[in-house]
Amino acid sequence: MTQTSAAAPVQGRLPVDRFVVGVALAGMLILGGLVWLETAPFLVALFGVGIALGMALYHGAFGFTAGWRNLVTKRRGAGMRAQLILFALTSALMIPLLGSGEPGMVGAVAPIGTSLVVGSFVFGLGMQLGGGCGSGTLFTVGAGNLRMLVTLAFFIIGAVVGSIHLPWWLDLPSLDPVSLIDSVGVIGAIAVQWAGLALVMLWVNRVERRAHGSLERSELRLAPAEGGVLRTLVQGRWPFVWAILVLAIGNTLTLAIGGAPWGITFAFNLWGAKALQAIGVDMSQFEFWTWDYPAMALADSVLVNITSVMNFGLLLGAMLAAGLANRFNEASRKPIEGRQFLAAIIGGLLLGYGARLGFGCNIGALFSGLASGSLHAWVWFACAFVGSLVGIRLRPWFRLPN
Amino acid sequence: MKAAYHRSRVIGLLLAILVLIMADHLASPTFAFNMGDGHARTSLNQRDASACAPCGAPCPSTRQ
Repeated sequence: MTQTSAAAPVQGRLPVDRFVVGVALAGMLILGGLVWLETAPFLVALFGVGIALGMALYHGAFGFTAGWRNLVTKRRGAGMRAQLILFALTSALMIPLLGSGEPGMVGAVAPIGTSLVVGSFVFGLGMQLGGGCGSGTLFTVGAGNLRMLVTLAFFIIGAVVGSIHLPWWLDLPSLDPVSLIDSVGVIGAIAVQWAGLALVMLWVNRVERRAHGSLERSELRLAPAEGGVLRTLVQGRWPFVWAILVLAIGNTLTLAIGGAPWGITFAFNLWGAKALQAIGVDMSQFEFWTWDYPAMALADSVLVNITSVMNFGLLLGAMLAAGLANRFNEASRKPIEGRQFLAAIIGGLLLGYGARLGFGCNIGALFSGLASGSLHAWVWFACAFVGSLVGIRLRPWFRLPN
Repeated sequence: MKAAYHRSRVIGLLLAILVLIMADHLASPTFAFNMGDGHARTSLNQRDASACAPCGAPCPSTRQ
């Protein structure tokens, strides 16, 4: 989540932006109707889950990028702790599902090797320059942020270039995926994930205590900071706990309904590849697009690609939330400076390239990876954080506030 | 307070996205199947359980 587009705390009586709310609802009806008529009910359900996720991300101002940056620059860990709680809760929900042996259900596991290390580092760097991660970029675009639209466009370009290069990276030293569920069982996998997350939380707490002497425990607050529950539910800003619950349940539902956890960036690959194909590029000349899943997705409609359908829902959900909060496009009032524009371009390219090499973004690789008990998610977390540190140091040159 | 956006641009952008989605869908096997072409190879379930990553990448051990 970028600082500029965070949903503001409720102050006074905020009118709803009827135009944006109306357009978002009309978009949901049209696209949801198309999915219903042309595909299958489970995709309509996933479209609905995407809408809920988009609203939760916007109203909860739940961003990975700013959470990591706040820990580094302000030594405040509430955002980071909220992420760790989210991972812990979702692990407890999804690992038993994946361990149940239900056919047709696969976790977000991925190889551990050069590609993952380089990709996640590059992604972390891109997060800070681009101003958002996979989910952050998408929901801020839904909320009308023009700078993030630039980031998204170059995110897509970077992802397509990454898909063309990925087979070369995969030939460098790498190990097959390590699933904790297969290694230590369901209970063991949850225990290992929780122990790892607890260690990270201890470190985060230590950093904050050293700088400030005590912890700000805003991630545990259940009641809204201002205003009533119903009004906050509609207009934001949600306490972290509300967003955590919706995101955890949303990812679990995605797994239960779609057969795989929540992901975002594959759709960017797909949209970019379809655009190239539309102008006559033969994508089958690239190895990535001959693999079963990418080839199937490329050959068929975006309306039968789960990631695309959920992304459309997420965009419209964020738009609806921004309209309800009367803050649609609010972050774009200030004109974009040259270097900030450059940061959006470079950041977007790095995000896309890194996401492809790193087998996903903060959602597909980190959130869903940890909740699937995959070891690669921990490597992704560490390398992306190091990349993020570098990105934070580079931000002032691009005239981006830290 | 002045709106931070132009309504026509919002509508235009969303319509452009809808047109792109429709153009992609109308040229797809799923649409052909729905229109009665029983030979169209749709892929409602695109999951590849044998893949080693969510993007469909193969396992390093299987690469030559």
